[in-house]
Amino acid sequence: MGNRRFHLLVLLFSDQMPMINGNSDGCDTVVDIYPLSSYFFGSKPAAAAAFKDESLADRVLRLKSNYNAYGMRTCVEAVILVELFKHPHLLLLQSKNCIYRLPGGRLRPGESDVNGLKRKLSSKLSADDDNYRTDWEVSECIGTWWKFDFETLPYPYLPSSGKTPKECTKLYLVKLPLNRDFIVPKNFKLLAVPMCQLHENCKTYGSIIAGIPQLLSRFSINMVFVSKHKLD
Amino acid sequence: MVNSSVVNTYPLSNYSFGTKEPKMEKDTSVADRLARMKLNYMKEGMRTSVEAILLVQEHNHPHILLLQIGNTFCKLPGGRLKPGENEVEGLKRKLSSKLAANSPNMQPNWQIGECVAVWWRPNFETIMYPYCPPHISKPKECKKLYVVHLSEREYFAVPKNLKLLAVPLFELYDNVQRYGPVISTIPQQLSRFQFNMISS
Repeated sequence: MGNRRFHLLVLLFSDQMPMINGNSDGCDTVVDIYPLSSYFFGSKPAAAAAFKDESLADRVLRLKSNYNAYGMRTCVEAVILVELFKHPHLLLLQSKNCIYRLPGGRLRPGESDVNGLKRKLSSKLSADDDNYRTDWEVSECIGTWWKFDFETLPYPYLPSSGKTPKECTKLYLVKLPLNRDFIVPKNFKLLAVPMCQLHENCKTYGSIIAGIPQLLSRFSINMVFVSKHKLD
Repeated sequence: MVNSSVVNTYPLSNYSFGTKEPKMEKDTSVADRLARMKLNYMKEGMRTSVEAILLVQEHNHPHILLLQIGNTFCKLPGGRLKPGENEVEGLKRKLSSKLAANSPNMQPNWQIGECVAVWWRPNFETIMYPYCPPHISKPKECKKLYVVHLSEREYFAVPKNLKLLAVPLFELYDNVQRYGPVISTIPQQLSRFQFNMISS
């Protein structure tokens, strides 16, 4: 009988969007992205929700007390891209109440951005027994948003009053290899949303996520095509 | 080229502004502009344009220098590259043409920084996108925005028919109505930089 075995023959057909790096910066602005189909998506049990029935008022109190103890709250979030229909797609988590989020979360006091983001990515996107075997490649910070007060709208600049903002969210580009297993808690869906759908769509996705296509515009996104070859 | 995530911004009062001969727009209407773009495309292929984000500070908040034509329309200093022209050199040429005095010994030392945004025009229409839309293999224009690091002091000569404004980031943010999609999204594109606001 024998098992059907599938081998992935990597034929690198590189379909680059029109060349933009003609003669300018020497920075590493080329990002290779791979087809959605080259990734595996599975699920794991939902983690116990820490503050499930907290009211908004209670949440603000909790944030205030954390601020008094530790200072400004910093969140780090990952911008992860895949290719589908020859267009870059962003990986987004959607919770049961339909809110879209980037994978990421709050840093612990004293934790570095990169370590914190790797910890959050493992927690949200890897199997529980992965034990940091999955090495997330955290690239550059592409944008920063600040909340001037607790639970207010975020802005892409610091308050000019000179007062310390209460929260800072930093977006990091995270580069994927050709293959990866994504294991997501059952209470979330992992979606691949095309850039053209995010663009200017603050109503559905909020200003931070809807603004990501502009933050990525300076990169040369190289869509790598992969051919699957079946062996019997 | 300056590759730095720190941008020194000096007070607006450090800079002095004079005038020079008018620089009229080549086209009198949007329709004319698109028609001329089409002609150039037939001759030279995709247009590449470069624009400069010049930053100063006022009241501890970054401001961008914009050129105002007439009563309302604002644009960034910059323009179309000649075929084969280097982007950095082309941007310096455009900056001098729009903002430098004509005298050769009063040329600002333009320090071109990083590219912060790229916009694509898929058709001969006004709409542009921050990515090349799917199924578009022949975009008509590619526009690149660069941060320009200004020296501590500078003299600018502004064409008589234009006004040079310093507009705070908070005024641009989310203000597509007034400034259009390219300029109103600059605050997000600058948010990864650290502004070092230097006072007089």
